[in-house]
Amino acid sequence: MNFIIIIALILSLPAFVLGQTRSENSDNRSRIFSEIASSASQVETFSCDFLQEKYMSMLDNVLISKGRLYYKRNNRLRWEINYPATSGFAVNGDQAKRWEDDSGRTQTFKVNQIPFIKVFTDQVFSWARADFKRLKKRYHIKVLSDKPIKLMLLPISPQEKKYLKNFQISFAADASYVSAVEIHEPDDDFTRIHFLNTVINHPLNDSLFN
Amino acid sequence: MSSIVADLYLFFSHRKPMVFAATLAVIAISAIAFVNLNLNENVESMLPDRKTGAALNFRLLQQAPFSRKIIINLNKQADIHGNELVEITDRLAAAMTPPFFTRVVTGPGESLSLEFFSWLVKVYPNLITSEDIKNIEQKLSTEQVRKALDGLYAKLLSPEGSAMKNLFQVDPLGFRLNALEKLRFLNIIPKMRLENGHFISPDGKNALIIAETPFAITDAERGEQMLIHFQGLLASVVPDTISVSMISGHRYTLANINAIKKDIVIILICSVLGVFILFLLFFRSLGGIFVFLTPVCVLCIAAAGVSVLYRNVSAITIGFGAVLLGISVDFAIHVYFAMRAATGNPSGALAQVSRPIVFCALTTLGAFGVLSFSSLPVQRELAVFSIIGICVALILSLIPLPQVVRHTQMTPYNQKTDIKAKFLLSRRWVICLWLLLMVICAWQGTKLHFDGDLRSLNLVPNEIRDVENTLQRTWGNFRDTAVVFAEGPDLQTALETNDRVFQHLTRGPNTSTIVSLAPILPSLKTQESNRRRWNAFWSNARKERVNQLLGDQGKLVGFKSTAFEPFAETIAGPSLPVTVEALRTIGLAEIVDTLIIDDGKNVKVLTLVPDTPEIAALFNSSDFSRSSIEIASQNQFHKTISKAIADDFIHFVLKASAMVILLLGLLFRNLKKVLLSLIPVLTGILFMIGIMGGLGIAFNLFNVVSAILVIGLGVDYGIFMVTKLTQGLDDATERAVFVSGLTTIIGFGALILARHPALHSIGLSVLMGIGAAIPAALVVIPAMLRKSNEN
Repeated sequence: MNFIIIIALILSLPAFVLGQTRSENSDNRSRIFSEIASSASQVETFSCDFLQEKYMSMLDNVLISKGRLYYKRNNRLRWEINYPATSGFAVNGDQAKRWEDDSGRTQTFKVNQIPFIKVFTDQVFSWARADFKRLKKRYHIKVLSDKPIKLMLLPISPQEKKYLKNFQISFAADASYVSAVEIHEPDDDFTRIHFLNTVINHPLNDSLFN
Repeated sequence: MSSIVADLYLFFSHRKPMVFAATLAVIAISAIAFVNLNLNENVESMLPDRKTGAALNFRLLQQAPFSRKIIINLNKQADIHGNELVEITDRLAAAMTPPFFTRVVTGPGESLSLEFFSWLVKVYPNLITSEDIKNIEQKLSTEQVRKALDGLYAKLLSPEGSAMKNLFQVDPLGFRLNALEKLRFLNIIPKMRLENGHFISPDGKNALIIAETPFAITDAERGEQMLIHFQGLLASVVPDTISVSMISGHRYTLANINAIKKDIVIILICSVLGVFILFLLFFRSLGGIFVFLTPVCVLCIAAAGVSVLYRNVSAITIGFGAVLLGISVDFAIHVYFAMRAATGNPSGALAQVSRPIVFCALTTLGAFGVLSFSSLPVQRELAVFSIIGICVALILSLIPLPQVVRHTQMTPYNQKTDIKAKFLLSRRWVICLWLLLMVICAWQGTKLHFDGDLRSLNLVPNEIRDVENTLQRTWGNFRDTAVVFAEGPDLQTALETNDRVFQHLTRGPNTSTIVSLAPILPSLKTQESNRRRWNAFWSNARKERVNQLLGDQGKLVGFKSTAFEPFAETIAGPSLPVTVEALRTIGLAEIVDTLIIDDGKNVKVLTLVPDTPEIAALFNSSDFSRSSIEIASQNQFHKTISKAIADDFIHFVLKASAMVILLLGLLFRNLKKVLLSLIPVLTGILFMIGIMGGLGIAFNLFNVVSAILVIGLGVDYGIFMVTKLTQGLDDATERAVFVSGLTTIIGFGALILARHPALHSIGLSVLMGIGAAIPAALVVIPAMLRKSNEN
């Protein structure tokens, strides 16, 4: 569940950033969100590197992974982990594929067949459309800091509260990109993801998603 | 007898108003009774009810999961977004409300949630089999434990990782996968996969709705209302991008009723036209009208009579009876022609013709009386119906009818233009050709097969056939499986029997297609035994070793030493029993309700198996006790019914023949006459089965009734012709035989024009049987008689 939220947030970031730059002096949260939504329509593609740190009570150490994320309009997405093992998944419309290089297993499936992937894609693609109306229905949004911008989203539904305490989005000092996302779970485990080298509207080969 | 008839004629000739008034009163009362008949449309009356399992099999088949349900398939066209199919399915299901629909299911719901996996881990010890123990044992080596923990660590990186971490701690070695594997036995629709808790086809283009309605399948009126209502829902709820097809028993019923209605219009037009032509050619008088009214009156009186004996008369009895009472018109025709030809002495003419008529009535009564020993309730009712009908026909033909028929100068019988006369010229050829034909027919008749599939007697329009094919192609053959019923006075007893059934089935081939609750809902007794097995396996030493192994190997992978304490607690702690309520709670309510039937007295647990001879053989083997177990199989059912039809037909023909021969012997007291009288019957039956066998047309329940008609009429033709040729009846006899044959062919042969298989089937067999019996009576009997006289 956390992962889904992370991805969804990441995909909304370009729109968020574009919205921020155009209304940097505005304190009106609603206005910011509506500008973000209109800016989202300008995002055709998006890619970045990520560094994921999982702080889990069942692990001795922080679980660190690195990888790359790609998004292309019309429901295409690729999440690949390159360290410590190679794995990931790609979604193209309602078709999806996942792979684990260690085991050599690949699996092609319909997105709807795997509940997690389905929930994930529903979230991601609606976030990619910057559907803040829906977002506000599901989360209370708090502004933790203006400079640099840091937001906290708290789930509303009891079901989601079982898995998620809150998540926080931190922007870079100049607010031109999201620097990190933190997802906190009820048992105090949390995941932090740093985003690096973000590129917007750069051509992406369709084969990435097949 | 003849003199009594003549005396009655003379007696009533002076009291005609009284005769007509009495007759009309009886007919009017019967007509009112007929209109108010309480008809029973249950097809079960066509099934054997004595010492055979067919009726039980049929009743059990009606309890099979999909036999009485409405199946709706929604097919999305290529260009709609992913969720629309599910959304529309939900919308349509929500719109299907009472009073037309009582229960509407689109899938098992969101069952396989994380809670489901957690529940599975808690109940697993109660489900474990000795085979599962072997699998677990293999997972406990150092290498396997390390491999499992490496896998867990990697999975923590994946999308599911964080959400499943608690489950990983409780079940690091993946024992739940063994339990999960048991769910495959709940796949009630072979090609189904679940998507958002909905039944979705493998290609994702189809969704399924299974609904129930309170209206009986035979309730045509309300069934039609339901279908119209459903069409209205489709128009308002379903967009053009989704096509919907629906199968329910009501559609078959309506299709059949509509086909029969259309058929009746065509048949009636043809029959009325034919009868009108016959009337113009042979009757042309008021008396002629009464001749054709006779069977109508007989039908009303016989139906009223049978309703006195049976509270609910089968609609099938009335339908078949109407066919059989075609015989009754023949008595009237013979009386009519005899009276018309009578010159000066009508009572004498009536006396002369009454003898063969009474002969005919007695032989027909004898033949139909045999039906009262049938194993089919409908045939027993039919026997009563026919006996009453024949008696009434006899009375109407001999008492009121002669009073309305007047003598007239008939066309002289011209030997040169007569068909019979032409054939008599070459009687040797007639006999040779007849013998040759009979030999060929007897040979082809050996190929005749009996079809016990009641569905083949239904009209299935192409539109419904296409839907059937689409459903089977898309979802697999889920409507025609065999069902094993494990029965008990309470749920636990039934589940214990169900456990035995499942164990037995797993010894057979192709277990992958079995649908059973046994693996996921064993009886409490079996659960206890499984739990004991589990506890015995987890000895203290083993527990200690595995916990140590998890700690050591987990440390090497990167887990804390306390990471898998929940696993140790789970193994040591109590397990939850699997109950029906628990299965309902986790989202398996639909499958549980489908496979468990509790009628308040007994509980039946159903297992669905392929309807194959191998599975049937598995249950028939001597090493399996079948007490408390019943198997309902379409194939077995068809075989039983086919056998019953074949047995009934053979028994009927043999017994009826014996009865007819006995009566003919008593009446004629002359072997030659008896044999000659049987020629039309023999010819009609052999020709009918020969053609059907040769053309590969199956013999069904309706053909049995046709065969009765052929026997009844054929004997009549034979008796009249033999009486005429040996005892000097006038030439009107031949005309009467010819006309009565034509009447039957026109009346019932016209059914061959029907689209409905049952009507068509009756028409075909009557046409062949009577079509052959008439020339046999008119041509072969005289040829044989002259030949034997010459000899």
